[in-house]
Amino acid sequence: MTLERNTLLVALVGALLLPFAVTDQYLLHLAVMALFYVVLATSLNLVVGYVGEFSLGHTAFLGTGAYTAALLSTHAGLPLWITVPVAGLVAAAFGFAIGAITLRLQGPYFVIVTLAFAEVLRLVANNWIAVTNGPMGLAGIGQSGLTDKREFYFVILALAALALYLSYRFVYSNAGRAAVAVRENRYVAQSIGVDPFGAAMQAFVLGAFMAGLAGGFYAHYISFVGPEVFQFAFMATIIIMVLMGGKGTLVGPIVGAVIVTLLEEYLREVQELRLTLFGLIVMAIVLFLPNGLMGFVARRREQHGSTILRNTPAEEKTV
Amino acid sequence: MDLFLQYLANGLVIGAFYALSALGLTLIFGLMRVVNFAHGEFYMLGGVLGWFVTAHLGLNFFLGLALVAATMATLGWLVDRFLIERVRGQGEEPGILLTIGLSIFLVNATLLVVGPAPMKVAGAFAEGPVFIGPIIVTKLRLLAVAVGAAAILAAHLLIRRTRLGRAMRATFQDPMAASLAGIRTKHVYAATFALGCTLAALSGMLLASVYSAQASIGGLVSLKSFVVVILGGMGSFAGAVAGGLLLGIAEAMWGGYVATGMVDVIGFVLVILILLFRPQGIFSARAERA
Repeated sequence: MTLERNTLLVALVGALLLPFAVTDQYLLHLAVMALFYVVLATSLNLVVGYVGEFSLGHTAFLGTGAYTAALLSTHAGLPLWITVPVAGLVAAAFGFAIGAITLRLQGPYFVIVTLAFAEVLRLVANNWIAVTNGPMGLAGIGQSGLTDKREFYFVILALAALALYLSYRFVYSNAGRAAVAVRENRYVAQSIGVDPFGAAMQAFVLGAFMAGLAGGFYAHYISFVGPEVFQFAFMATIIIMVLMGGKGTLVGPIVGAVIVTLLEEYLREVQELRLTLFGLIVMAIVLFLPNGLMGFVARRREQHGSTILRNTPAEEKTV
Repeated sequence: MDLFLQYLANGLVIGAFYALSALGLTLIFGLMRVVNFAHGEFYMLGGVLGWFVTAHLGLNFFLGLALVAATMATLGWLVDRFLIERVRGQGEEPGILLTIGLSIFLVNATLLVVGPAPMKVAGAFAEGPVFIGPIIVTKLRLLAVAVGAAAILAAHLLIRRTRLGRAMRATFQDPMAASLAGIRTKHVYAATFALGCTLAALSGMLLASVYSAQASIGGLVSLKSFVVVILGGMGSFAGAVAGGLLLGIAEAMWGGYVATGMVDVIGFVLVILILLFRPQGIFSARAERA
């Protein structure tokens, strides 16, 4: 717990200093995208890592957030600091509605239905041309006076810090512990009075809220939103980040988001080869690093700790 | 009224196609409980291989179909023994990830090799319309429906009447008891996966002769197949057929009378409703908690 908190604080300080060390616009853009994915991976991790249900519909919230911000900005001309929080709230409302339906299901059914919701929203975005402008998408979203990449960087850093703070508070709250108890053993948790649905619902809505914030930011930053935000490819990227870093840890998704963003960018030259490699990486992670990089680190620490423990009594005997 | 019959016929044909493409998933998802996101890619590989063996190796359609089936059965067997087996018994999640990884790999490796352009598989005979009263269907569609029906029947007989089929049913009821009774469950799992993979590839090649084979078609096929399997009830062939027909007719009617744009939404809405009100599927007799 303290290790996790300290790591997060160090990372925050490092992230705050970064734009003063880096002036290259391209590198700043990469940093902005990495932080954007940090928010998304953190929000998905709440559901996948702590509730233990595998949601494939997280893009539903990213997309509703992005479209909300885009519509508010293009039609009402509202600035970023209004549209992004509203985007978060709208996504949270969607999260509540979708969660109320899907969290009654478990396992493969949950997976398929969350995916079905995201697909329905994608099709709606594609076909409800009067509002969403269909496949053409909404372009020319205002940037609210933010011109410099550095300013955008601080906005997304604030959002990432908020997302991690909220996650941290959730994970170490009673609701978070209840969710973990349900994840580990549903029946034991129920027998001691934990309401599985309630715990899962809190995580789900919180995750939706963060994904909505990220979506709202994305709309302003890219200044274009199309139905692609609901696409499965987006979803796959976020999942890979969470798993590569280590689900069920707060630091893991950050590590995963940074690594995958950089990999995606530097392998951009070779589009299909990049994704082919991605597929192989995903399979390798599932087979060889089932708990992600952070899980690997934690296991090494445990092994290290236990060898010390095993050695001490042996030494005492020889003395 | 004429149009109604035509829509119904279209719906039945499309529904039969859906049922056919979902058969493999009925085995792999319905019986083995592997949430196989690579299903659509097996289907796609069937189409692409079908194009390869007919256009490049110059085999005739049915010979090519047999070759594709054999290749994909081998691939399915290997995938199960080398990948799926290692995460068996760990819940659904590792299987989901593994198959997502596999599907990303297969799509993009295929794109690297053959490119994104659609490939036409030469049909068994020349295409032409068939008039049945007021309804028009094309010959190749009828052939696909017929071969599909034969595949469904064959798979059904295999599972109900053969030794392997009996071993499969025993294994999926209780793997421990099955292995105590001397069934080599590893082989049974691999055989089931191979069979599912083969059925997916067969439907991919058949339908590539009606439409065309394309490297990126897999995602859509996976989704529709999940819809069909859940609609019909897990692991039931009859259910898959009924689910496919239901989806096909619902889409044809919606497309004909309401709006064409949102046709694909219907399947997802049906699935959401089914899981809420009848999670065991419309046709599955066994009550099962979702």
